[in-house]
Amino acid sequence: MFGNTSGITNLGMAEVSANQDRVYQFNQQVGGAVKQRDDSLLAKRSISILLSVLFFVATGERVIAADFSFGDATGKNEACIACHENQAKVGNLNYIDPKKFGHTTHAKFGCTTCHDTITSDHPAVKPKARTTSCSDCHGDIISQYSASIHAKNASCSGCHNPHRVNRANEISASEMNKQCASCHSSVKITASHSKWLPQAGLHLGAIACVSCHSKAENYVISIYIAKRDGAEAESTVNLAAYEDLLKYTKGDNIQYLIDKNRDNYISLEELRKFNRDPANRDIYLKSIMTPVKPTHSFQTFDNRWDCSFCHGSGPEIMQTSYLTLPENNGTFRQVAVEKGAAMDALRAIPNFYLMGSTRNGTLNMIGLLIIFGGMVMPLGHGFLRFLTRKNRQ
Amino acid sequence: MSTKMIYLQPIPVRVWHWLNALGIVTLCVSGAQIRFPEYVTVLGSYRSAIMLHNTAGIVVALSFSIWFFYYKIVANSLDKIYIPNGSELTTGLFRQAIFYFFAYFFGVNNPHHATPESKFNPLQKSAYLAIMFVLMPMVNLTGILLMNMGPMREIIMLIGGLKILDVIHFLTACSLCAFIFTHVYLATLGSTPLAYFIPMLTGWEKVENHDDHDTEHSK
Repeated sequence: MFGNTSGITNLGMAEVSANQDRVYQFNQQVGGAVKQRDDSLLAKRSISILLSVLFFVATGERVIAADFSFGDATGKNEACIACHENQAKVGNLNYIDPKKFGHTTHAKFGCTTCHDTITSDHPAVKPKARTTSCSDCHGDIISQYSASIHAKNASCSGCHNPHRVNRANEISASEMNKQCASCHSSVKITASHSKWLPQAGLHLGAIACVSCHSKAENYVISIYIAKRDGAEAESTVNLAAYEDLLKYTKGDNIQYLIDKNRDNYISLEELRKFNRDPANRDIYLKSIMTPVKPTHSFQTFDNRWDCSFCHGSGPEIMQTSYLTLPENNGTFRQVAVEKGAAMDALRAIPNFYLMGSTRNGTLNMIGLLIIFGGMVMPLGHGFLRFLTRKNRQ
Repeated sequence: MSTKMIYLQPIPVRVWHWLNALGIVTLCVSGAQIRFPEYVTVLGSYRSAIMLHNTAGIVVALSFSIWFFYYKIVANSLDKIYIPNGSELTTGLFRQAIFYFFAYFFGVNNPHHATPESKFNPLQKSAYLAIMFVLMPMVNLTGILLMNMGPMREIIMLIGGLKILDVIHFLTACSLCAFIFTHVYLATLGSTPLAYFIPMLTGWEKVENHDDHDTEHSK
């Protein structure tokens, strides 16, 4: 079912493929401590290519690998794209959206890196099956994924379209779940989670599936701007599109809708101002909890049945958040947000509240003082009562 | 002076009171676990705390409705019992405060005499007015909204968001928790420590007969 070739499915899968790259970017951006796989891969390949170039230059032979110019797709793919951007000519299956493909890291490697059996006879001669596979570069992910129960249900291309993949910071965390939804119907998923999970619809709209169904260890809060139409289902994300937000900034960079001082950093005060601004009454901030480092080890982890996995995780893990903004080309961009947005008592992200974990320390103290206030009368009065007990005999 | 028994707490009031008491204590404990799951685990899993909290919340909200319906419609004594009148506000509050915080320690009797028509002293009336007409509706309504966030999202947005809703719920709940301590302590201030507890169980309170007026009783 996943090898299927309809353009529509590919569309869905395309977004899915973003996940994988997104993960790495995520690691670099948010986790910080994760090794930068893309770079190390590039470095390894660069060295091997350099060596082969030297070898072939020495022997006077033409080198295909030498055609690469890493980090720059200019001039590498045009010949292919010239036909393959024409959907009518090549059909849905072979259609490549040049804008989306040009955006991928894969484009920088050039078409023939993966499609290695293409000859100059193409298109007259159909190419033989290519000898490359995803595992050539993404080997450790493949071995991790193969061990998961999900592997027998979908291959790489079942979720990821290599011609449309986005980087981690180029897709909204709220869109992550769309990729799962391309196979798992949200109605069925809500029903199956309702069997054990209170307010299942609400949960599914506020957590990335991979938060529980992959081996994620740390989480961040991804803030996005949603449209407020009053009729949305609780599990619906209702993301505001680039064009929607453009109206609010009158054509200016949509980031300035929140980032008023234009310093490429969202402070809590800027979030509060955005929420207070009456001009924003038809849009509002929503958030989704996403893993810092989701893996491809898809399964249901035993400890995720326990609500306290999230709700008892304490306020510490709720400190990091970022704002995800849509871009003109259909991708997304992340902007750093001041620490503690999810912990702000009232106004920073007023509609994100994770019971047990986003409790505000100041409010806890006020609550405690109120309760102690109730004990003052029994303690103080009781003490005087004890001292004066003889007066009432 | 002879003593006589008066029927102070009819059955619906007693049932409501103890249902409420059990409900509110349950809500405080389960609420503490829901907010501080790392520290409070008395009710087992987080899910069971949520389930219990929701159930107890519904029970208390229903019992609140029954209380209101009984006093306002059936007995029609809600305003009289719970709303302090002019003299109670001008002198009654002061007199009662003097008693509790001063005269009591010198063995002076309570200036207020409970009757079915006038159960509460002016201080009690004011406190119960705040509790039953402000805190209880607030904690109940915010609780109902928190249980139905999806369908009631627009109302929550109108209030200012989920966080504000939670703040109202949490702080009113803390106030009600504080009330329990004061309430239980004050209930021991009768002629004997258990004198006020017994009528809430049996309905009957033992009062001393007064010479001048047979509706006035002092303990």
